[in-house]
Amino acid sequence: MPDEHEISRRTFMARGAAAGGAVVLAGAAGTALAACSSSPSGTTSTTAAPGSKPGVGTGTPVQGGSLSVGLLSEIDGFYPPANHWDTSGYIYAQCLYDPLMAIAADGSIQPYLAESCTPNATYDTWTLTLRPNIKFNDGTDLTATVVVNNFTALKASLLTGQALTQVVSCTVTGPLSLEYKLQGPNPDFTAGLPTQVGYVVGQAMIDQYNAGNVTATPIGTGPFIFQSWLPNSHFTATKNPNYWRKGLPYLDQITLKPIPDTIQREATLKTGGVDMIGSTDPDTIHRFQGQPGYAVVDSATGVIGEPSMAFIMLNCVVAPTNDLRIRQALAKATDQTTVQRIFGGGFGKPVNGLFLPGSPYYSATDFPSYDPAGAKRLVAEYKAGHGTPSLQLLTITDPRLAQVVQIIQQMWQQVGFEVTISQIEQANLINDFIAGKFQAATSYQFGAVNPDLNYVWWSTTTAGAVGTIALNFPRNSDPVIEQNMLTGRHTTDQATRVKAYQTVNQQLAKDLPYIWLVQYIFSEVATTKVQNWANPILPNGMPGYAFDEGIFSPTAIWLAK
Amino acid sequence: MGKYLIRRFLQLLVVSFVISVLVFMLVHLLPGDPTTQILGANDTAANRAILLKQLGLNLPLWHQYTIWLSAAFHGNLGTSYLNHESVTHILATGAPVTIELIIISQVLAFAVAIPLALVVSRKPNRALDNVSTTTTFGLLALPPFVVAPILVAVFAVGLGWFPATGYTPFNQAPITNIHEMILPSVAITAGSIAVYFRLLRSDLITTLQQDFITMARSKGLSNRRIMWRHAFRPSSFSLLAAAGINIGSLIAGTFVVELLFALPGIGYALVEAVNQRDYLVVQGISLVVAIAFVVIQFIVDFVFTIVDPRVVRE
Repeated sequence: MPDEHEISRRTFMARGAAAGGAVVLAGAAGTALAACSSSPSGTTSTTAAPGSKPGVGTGTPVQGGSLSVGLLSEIDGFYPPANHWDTSGYIYAQCLYDPLMAIAADGSIQPYLAESCTPNATYDTWTLTLRPNIKFNDGTDLTATVVVNNFTALKASLLTGQALTQVVSCTVTGPLSLEYKLQGPNPDFTAGLPTQVGYVVGQAMIDQYNAGNVTATPIGTGPFIFQSWLPNSHFTATKNPNYWRKGLPYLDQITLKPIPDTIQREATLKTGGVDMIGSTDPDTIHRFQGQPGYAVVDSATGVIGEPSMAFIMLNCVVAPTNDLRIRQALAKATDQTTVQRIFGGGFGKPVNGLFLPGSPYYSATDFPSYDPAGAKRLVAEYKAGHGTPSLQLLTITDPRLAQVVQIIQQMWQQVGFEVTISQIEQANLINDFIAGKFQAATSYQFGAVNPDLNYVWWSTTTAGAVGTIALNFPRNSDPVIEQNMLTGRHTTDQATRVKAYQTVNQQLAKDLPYIWLVQYIFSEVATTKVQNWANPILPNGMPGYAFDEGIFSPTAIWLAK
Repeated sequence: MGKYLIRRFLQLLVVSFVISVLVFMLVHLLPGDPTTQILGANDTAANRAILLKQLGLNLPLWHQYTIWLSAAFHGNLGTSYLNHESVTHILATGAPVTIELIIISQVLAFAVAIPLALVVSRKPNRALDNVSTTTTFGLLALPPFVVAPILVAVFAVGLGWFPATGYTPFNQAPITNIHEMILPSVAITAGSIAVYFRLLRSDLITTLQQDFITMARSKGLSNRRIMWRHAFRPSSFSLLAAAGINIGSLIAGTFVVELLFALPGIGYALVEAVNQRDYLVVQGISLVVAIAFVVIQFIVDFVFTIVDPRVVRE
């Protein structure tokens, strides 16, 4: 069945809560201070060196050819201030536009359209200087004025405005330079610029939107030029002959085809309908890994920062999950290993928090291990004062997830809970999260390179009562987390930052707003004729982050003869 | 015949009016508030008030309805809040795909069901009849979402005869278009073949027992002529009625096949809109699909008058 409603997609963020804007940042960003590749080995290629790694090109690049890619989902438009970009959305954007900054393979934020972005001594003013001689595909120049006009549109947008609340002003200081003034110091300000708010579109496109033409033809500086788009069918872009990165792109044309159903997407790859596909189903990896003629890259390893994580979210302000004993009992009753076997396709490893071993922020935590006897004791204790704990487990209408949820229901019932399952549409689930109208719910989230981007999800300032809008969905209002998130944001000392985020991670394991289940895995499969799709090189020569949450860059891809 | 058609047309107008009211009300009766979905985390009182005004949701229902209906008559069914496309554009983009899918599938269904029914009805309960009846019974039990993956596994992945997914507009590459549409059409066709075959076979068997058939045989007419000229026409009422309902249902009912084969049709657009609570799109597509269904029934009624003029007198 179609898996377009998988909670694994960024749609969770982008089309729901996302209207909240700050979430636009949450999926992909980095930090200039934290180089935290958790596990750079394995199938994922994160280095630039040519070799035999999947997705890393060997031999001399070949000019020409047409690439067709099967995507998980469709984009809803190409205008950064107005449209909701999920994993697929960013792939479209990578074809047409360039970001101001980009994430390097070491997790640092490096200039892309920008030549530099530097702070003042107090980190509350940042000066960005653009590279010279870059043109949009309509022939106009990339100037500081255009970037500021982009910023103005982004700031005014309901969607993206929240992501820029810390920016008080953005002003032109020269033909190619501009200045961001922030509300306060932020040594990590550039972390947001590789995301949706950092992609720059041409002035004519902004003007058309402002004039009410919300379906204006995309204008960008990117490696490809928009040719046609038949929503839910295909999108075609052709090589930008005047691309500012000389010699790139190699391809003459790229076609993106949204194919929601995983099996159909795989069948289309096998039958030659596309050359590459993305997937969030770990079984895709099993089906293609080792198959002659195909190369597979996945996000099981090589994560920079934190992985996307699947979990059960517990509401900390409604009964019975507002009782810490209940949250502890639920966590102890949940057999992570069994869930990982079913849902993680065998790729899951024990998780005790948001960070994986190898990340500097990883540390031992008090996250409860599987202990049904201990869970029973806690339930009995609760029962003595409040009666049998009864709760509803919300989930989305996804067959793979439904299987997991039923098993979790059995686990919880075995220790004394009364559990009912309710399946609803994803959009409604997100609305329930925002309003706090749930007790326990399946979810998927995070995956940020920079832990600071989780502030909006964990802050006491974004928690609220049931019925009010709150981006701290579980409404876990913990001053220790707040204090350490702010410390992590403002400090310039890496040791202090590491300690702060480790403390946050440990505190989450104590508060238990989330029962961590398994790392969520993205994968990309390509025929072997597709070369160099997981080996981006940044304009300054540094290797880029190769497979950020399923996003790949088409700029340096070539097709073997 | 004129009066009959006028009466039918007036009924069509009444039904269309009722449909428009129901479609309009349906979205308002759905649980949840569309503004919540549209605004998401920006769902503040001030933003909601602005949006309610923009969408006209602060007006009395009857006023909203008249505005909506008036706009619909002018071809303005609103704009998707999600991708800012006009609903008319979404329909114009999706309709050719869905209509082509329906046409090919129904042509295939008739091409298989009618000759087969004509052959087996001459000698019912023989081997061929039993095999055909059993097979079509099985086809009835196979929904498109089961048939589609099987077709893809066998004819796309296995034999490589057809692409697994994809859509190229007919006007861009007709051959490629037909090639891509075969598998999705066959996935829909299976159920239609079963229904059409079983109805026509049953009616033909009854018709072949009528006196006028005996008379035709006694006059020495060939079996072919008897079947096509004398038996088929009076046996086709149920087939026509079923085809009318089936084709009408398929307008939005192809969504499973459209999703599986990544075809950008009306059904696909409708499901996307429902999932995203893009309620103007849901409203617009539902209205057009429902009206199209009624119009198809009107056309079927008209065809009835040609097939059997007694319908008018009755």
